[in-house]
Parts: sequence; C-alpha cells; structure tokens
Amino acid sequence: MRSNQQRLMGLVLCLVTTVSVAVPTIQHWNTKNGATVYFVPTQGLPILDVQLVFDAGSARDGEKLGVAALTAAVLNEGAGGLTAQEIAEQLESVGAQLGVSASRDFTSISYRSLTDEQTLATSWAVFKKVLNQPSFPLKEFKRVKQNTLLGIKRREESPGTLAQLALYKAMFKNHPYSNAIKGEEASVNDIHKVDLKAFYKQYYVAKNLLVVVVGGISREQAEQLTNELLLALPSGKEAEPIKPVADLKQAENLHQEYPSQQTHLMYGLPVLKHNDADYFALYVGNHILGGSGFSSRIVKEIREERGLAYSAYSYFHPMVEKGPFLMGLQTRNEKAAEASAAVKGLLTSFIEEGPTEKELIASKKNISGGFALKLDSNKKLLGNIVSIVASGAPLDYLNTYLQRIELVTRKQIQNAFKRRVDMNQMVMVTVGQTATEK
Amino acid sequence: MKKRLVLFFILNIFFVLTAFASSENQATMVHQKVLKNGLKVLVKEDRRAPVMVSQVWYKVGASYEYDGITGLSHVLEHMMFQGTENLAPGEFSKIIAENGGRENAFTGADYTAYFQTMEASRLDVSMRLESERMHRLNLQEKEFVKELQVVMEERRLRTEDKPQGQTYEYFKALAYTSSPYRNPIIGWMQDLEDMKLADLAVWYKRWYAPNNATLVVAGDVKAANVFKLAEQYFADIPMVKFEAVKKRIEVPQLGIRRAIVKQKAKAPYILMGYKVPVLNSTKNEQDVYALEVLSGILSSGGSSRLASNLIRGTQVAASVSAGYDMNARLPTLFMFDGIPAEGKTAQELETAIIEQINQLQNAVVETKELARIKAQVVASSVYEKDSNFYQAMQLGMLETVGVGWEKESEYVDKVKAVTAEQLQAAAKKYLIEDHLTVVHMLPQSEGVKQEVTSAQ
Repeated sequence: MRSNQQRLMGLVLCLVTTVSVAVPTIQHWNTKNGATVYFVPTQGLPILDVQLVFDAGSARDGEKLGVAALTAAVLNEGAGGLTAQEIAEQLESVGAQLGVSASRDFTSISYRSLTDEQTLATSWAVFKKVLNQPSFPLKEFKRVKQNTLLGIKRREESPGTLAQLALYKAMFKNHPYSNAIKGEEASVNDIHKVDLKAFYKQYYVAKNLLVVVVGGISREQAEQLTNELLLALPSGKEAEPIKPVADLKQAENLHQEYPSQQTHLMYGLPVLKHNDADYFALYVGNHILGGSGFSSRIVKEIREERGLAYSAYSYFHPMVEKGPFLMGLQTRNEKAAEASAAVKGLLTSFIEEGPTEKELIASKKNISGGFALKLDSNKKLLGNIVSIVASGAPLDYLNTYLQRIELVTRKQIQNAFKRRVDMNQMVMVTVGQTATEK
Repeated sequence: MKKRLVLFFILNIFFVLTAFASSENQATMVHQKVLKNGLKVLVKEDRRAPVMVSQVWYKVGASYEYDGITGLSHVLEHMMFQGTENLAPGEFSKIIAENGGRENAFTGADYTAYFQTMEASRLDVSMRLESERMHRLNLQEKEFVKELQVVMEERRLRTEDKPQGQTYEYFKALAYTSSPYRNPIIGWMQDLEDMKLADLAVWYKRWYAPNNATLVVAGDVKAANVFKLAEQYFADIPMVKFEAVKKRIEVPQLGIRRAIVKQKAKAPYILMGYKVPVLNSTKNEQDVYALEVLSGILSSGGSSRLASNLIRGTQVAASVSAGYDMNARLPTLFMFDGIPAEGKTAQELETAIIEQINQLQNAVVETKELARIKAQVVASSVYEKDSNFYQAMQLGMLETVGVGWEKESEYVDKVKAVTAEQLQAAAKKYLIEDHLTVVHMLPQSEGVKQEVTSAQ
C-alpha cells in the first residue's frame, strides 16, 4: 500500500482533545564516547527496536556521488570475521532483523529482535560486529556496486523516477541535495573499496550518532546494551554543517520526452529546514491544500471533480538544510496541459486566499483526532522519536504539538504560504509524451 | 493514505512466510458472533493504545469475475465512496476525516475489504457508515464516468507504464487456462472501457449483503460492546440468497508453458510459476505447509538459498525471490521472479533457479537451515502483534477465502511440525516441469531519449 501522506514524514503529530493519549516520556543520556541515546520503554510485547542515525546521508558524498548509499549497502556484507552469509544466518537463526539505508541527510541502521536473553545475546553480538568491524569484503563490494549500477540504469524504466531526479537537480542546482542518493553511473564506477572505508571511518563515529531505543526492556538493560554496542566506536567528531540551499532566482519548466501513456508532473522549490518557525502554519495549510487525501483541495479537484489522476498530492519535506515543497500527479498524456493548469490554479488561489475557516476547523479535527493513531505501535513510536531527535526538535514536542496546531490561524497560513511558496521560483518537470487533447 | 487500491499478488511474492499470531498466547483470543442475518463479527482485543481498526470484508473480488467484466469488483470498490442514499459523494470520507480517522479499501482476487482506523471511542461512526453502504449504495452516472477515468489512470500507472507490472499480466494469462486468476485484478483496459453503471448495480446487488461479509474489529475495544454496536447497525440489513459460487477449477497443465514479453525496459526480468494447491483447495494440509516452508528455505532472509547461492554465490541474479500464497481461495502458483545480474541473461537465471529446485528434490534440507526458517516464523508471529491492522487483516482474509479464521492460531505450530523429508517430497511432487510457466521479459533495443528540454 503506497501512501502519499506517509511521505509527509517529519513531524506529523499532534495531541488529541477529547481523549487522553499517553505521550511517552523520552529518556536520554550520553555514552562516554559521545553518542546520544534516546529511550522509550514499552509494555505488552517482547520486542526491541533500535535505530542508529548517523549524520551521514548522501549530502556527505562529496565528489564520490553514491558513496554513502554504497557504504550502507555493503555494511552488513561482512564484519568481525563473519561473512555476509554468516551474518544473515546468525541473525535469522533467532528471527532478528538488521537493515541499513541512506537518505539525503542520514544513514540509518535498523534493528529488531525478540527480547528473551538468548535471542538478544545472539543478535546483539552480530549488530555489534556490523557496526564496529565492517570488513567491506571486495567480492561483496564489487557485486553490490554492479547491482547499484544496474539499479541506476533501471531508473529509466520509470517516468516517475526520472521526473523526481530531474526535479531535485533543478531545485537544488549545485547543492548536494540535487544528486540522486545512489549516485550516477560514472560516479559509482569511480567508487572503490577504500572510499567506503574512508566514509565509514569519518562518519560512523559516536559524536555523529543518535541512537533511539524502543521496546520491552528496562532502562538498566538499555544502558547496558547500548554501552556494549557503542563503547568501542571511536568518538570522532560531528560532521561539518552542509552548505545552505540557495533560493531559486526564477521559475523553470522542464520536459523530458518519454514513451509512456501518462505524463508525470512534478512541482517543487526549496522551502524549509527542520523546526522552521512557519512549520505549523505550512503543515496545517498543506493538509488542506494537498496533504490529507480526499479531504484536500488537490485530490478533490484533480481526482474527484475531473477524474484526471489516481494519485495527486502536495507536501512539505523539511530537511537539515532547506527541504522542498512538492506537488505532483500523473495523468494520461493528452490531459497533461489541463492537469497542469488546474493544479497550478489551485496553488495560486491557495497562496492568495488561504483556506476557509471551515476547512481549517475540519483539518484541525482530523489532525488532533488522529493523534492516537500515530503512536499505536512500537514501530510508529520509533519512527516518530527518530524524526524528533534527528530533526533536533525539543523532546517535549509531542506534548506541545496539539496546542501548536490549535494556535494556527487562517491568516498565518495565508501569510506563510505567501512568503514561503513563491510561484516565481517554482520548478515544474514533466516526463511523458507530448500529445494534444483528442 | 491513498484510497481504493488494488492488491496485486505480485506484491505478495516479496513477502515470504506470512506468519500468523501464535496459539501460545491466549491473551490474543478472538471473539466471534454471527448475527441472524449472517453477518460474522470477529473481535480481537488489544489494549496497548486507545485505537481500533474496523474492517468489512466481502466475499467478492477479481476471481469472481468472468470474461468481459474484469475489473468490476475493483471499480465497485471505488464507487463505494461515491455516495449512498443518505450520504453525498465523498461525505463518507469527510465524516471519517473529521473524526480523526484514516480509511482505505482494497480489492484482491478473492476479497474486497474496507477499513477505518480511528481512536477507539469512534467505533460507532465507522459502523454506522459501513452499514449504510452495505445496502444503500447510490450508484450515479456522473460519479461513475469520472471514477472510471481514475481507475484507468491507476491502471496506466501500475501496468501500462511499468514493464514488470505489464509482464506479470501476460504471465498470469499464460499460466492459467480455466482459472479466473488469469485476469488482472484491475481488469483489462478494454473491459474498463466497456463497463456500464448497470454492470456495477448488478454486481453490488449480487454480492454486498451481511451474509456475504465479515466484520473484524481489533484494538482497544470490548467484544461485548462491538457485538452490541454490530446488532444496532447491521441487524436490520436483509440477507441475500446466494447461489453457490461456480468452482472454475484450473484444468491440469500438460507441459511447460513459455513466452517472451518485450518491454521498453533496461534489464531483463523473469517470472516462473508452478501449479500448486492451497489450504482452501486440498485436504492435504501437510503439503501446503511444506510448500510454505519451502518458499522460506528459498527466499526468507539473506541467509536463504536464493540470496545465498544466486545473488552472492554465483552472482547470476541482481535480485531474486520465491513466494507462495497458501491462503488463496483457489489453487495458485509457487512463484519465482528475478532480475539477472548485469551481463547475465534471463535464461541463465532460469537455469540457476531450476538448479536450486533440483537440489531441494535431491537432498534433504539440513536441520539447522530448517530451524532458521522456523525461528523466523516464530519471531514474525510476535512482531505482527505490533500491528492491529495486520492481525485484523489475517482474520478477515482467512475467513473470506473460505479457510476460516480459526486457522490463524494453527499456523506457527503447523509450520514447526514440517520435516525435512516433507519438504523434499513436496519439491518432488509439485515443482515439476510439466506444471511450470516461464516468462522472460526482454528489453527492446529502442532507447529512451535522454535529453531534458526547457519547456514553455
């Protein structure tokens, strides 16, 4: 099940008015070597979830585009004297799971295991080796690199992927965010095993690490486990700030001809960092504009009124440096012009007039009434806490969220959209076949 | 959340070993009540968070359709949001949204299901709305014309413009002869174009009734209260008299089937499938659980055979997986799919997969290897308790395909009981060439233009 709203990501939380939802208290401490650990104990299930978040996303690639993603992909392919096969066997022999992935801002290692002693001991030992002693075996490195190159080639099978890549290039110009997370054919070809080792050595260090622990263990256990996991990791230093994203000087329209039946339309411009002062106004506003599925203007107009698209959406994606406002849909080629005019019209009038009072009330009801759903599983709890700590939001974020949503006014939304979403700086990308309406 | 989606079986083949809740934990007991009009109500209480999920499952889906009307169940699912006697088009969604709810629906080959997840005290809101659309749908031409366009866009997105998606359609149509599984869930484009509002009215009248539905509620609710609300909202909906669903059993396959599908793709892709039974089609449960574990031996986790031997070992595959849906309503396929590594061909990958099957037929699986699969199933059965939605979904699905929700509690023990000898016997009995269908998707040479131009 794909979902648009899940991509809203970030900090989509709020408190509920009518029901008291137990908002977890986030405990935290620092390890001796400088990593920060955040912990929420849960009850009811013998499951432990851990996520390690390094400030080591593809924005850190430098010249070697794709090196962050490739380092992540090879990390658990050999470590501490274990082969890739042995790592997988040991984890799977107790049903534990370990995965590594990179985004533009972060590299994350995700771990899930049952909490009985034997299982924890087995899976934690492997986790520890993968984190502290990855060996990046040449054979596995070469294979994963080849498969990465094949994946890069296969982007061209997807008009949606091509549109997104072109949009990020145009929105972020020569900023590292402009690059594809997995890099390009030429850059990946030029990545060698030593590059992975160097990347690991520089960025997989304690001071560059946030650890989130959620599950059915005690504080004492959490401290003991994280100490065991992390204390061998060099302190290192925090990664340098990445450079700011420049505002766009002018609007840009880009088209790529592609032999598909649909044209993919994507719009965007860089707008906001994490914890932006306008965030709540922009978030609630976007909820009304294109962030709440069938309650939103974009879906009502593009899908429900005109039957132009299966999926149509807009969202803000705050990042460490200015992340984008994004809007998109896909429609049959001959309707691309109509859809484009309609969606741009919706945005223009929203910026000009803002939402109605009725829309604002309805969206607040939806956000606050749905608060409990955001925290109803360990998995979701983990995801939310990772968002909070990785973005640097205050730890009482969940406790104050509803108030901040409630305080948002129509005027603030209109004002924030006017200042922050400038149509004269928007990039529009279309990928599809040029066609005239029948 | 995006509404009205089609569940493709192709998705399932990446999720091997769908493990169920364990019988060991009595706390997760299921409560059942059947109303006088035949509506079955299942409740699973879970008090970890003050939320609930409510799902209504109907015994109808793409495998109930026949030539010329493919895609009807799915389009009807879309129309279920487009107005009833007492609700304007879109009003259902609006009410759910104002109550802080999330909702969606999905259509599969064997079921159509609707759900809301909400703060637990709002259960009556979802029940009231679901009861309304169970018997008072207002099918309107204007909404239908528009919604059909939406479904066609959905089809273009998922199939026409997705080389592997389209290849899977051709694959199914080749593999099945008389089984309704040969048709795509979303329907052939021509059938969508020919669809009439009257077709939907007939379909709705025929299948949407309390005695063809199961209501499943999981979360912070009390069973007695759920039953009371169910009585209140659903008891007055009249039963419908059903004729037995036609069996449409797949005719025996009498030899390997092959095809090539050319696509504007950048890498080849293969699909392979062997005809196999499912829980609902055979008394021989042991074979079904053996096939389930076999799919785990082949492709559950990084240590399983396909990853170990074909991705890491010989490096013939960039990706490859096996999958088997033991909970289909009708006999199905034991599937493989994969992308050859750069420089390798579809044929080389096919040969390598066959070699893996031969090994399973010629030698028993090691004890340690089998234990690893079982450990994963046991762990998954706990992980799945983290999701109310998933638990409700398992109950609803098992009940709707005919297996019965009670089977859920047997899953872990039955998997644990599978022996290495049974695995070998199942591989020999079912993974045989005469019952195999193979499709190679081959990239066409025609390239995609790379240039990006500045447009007006």
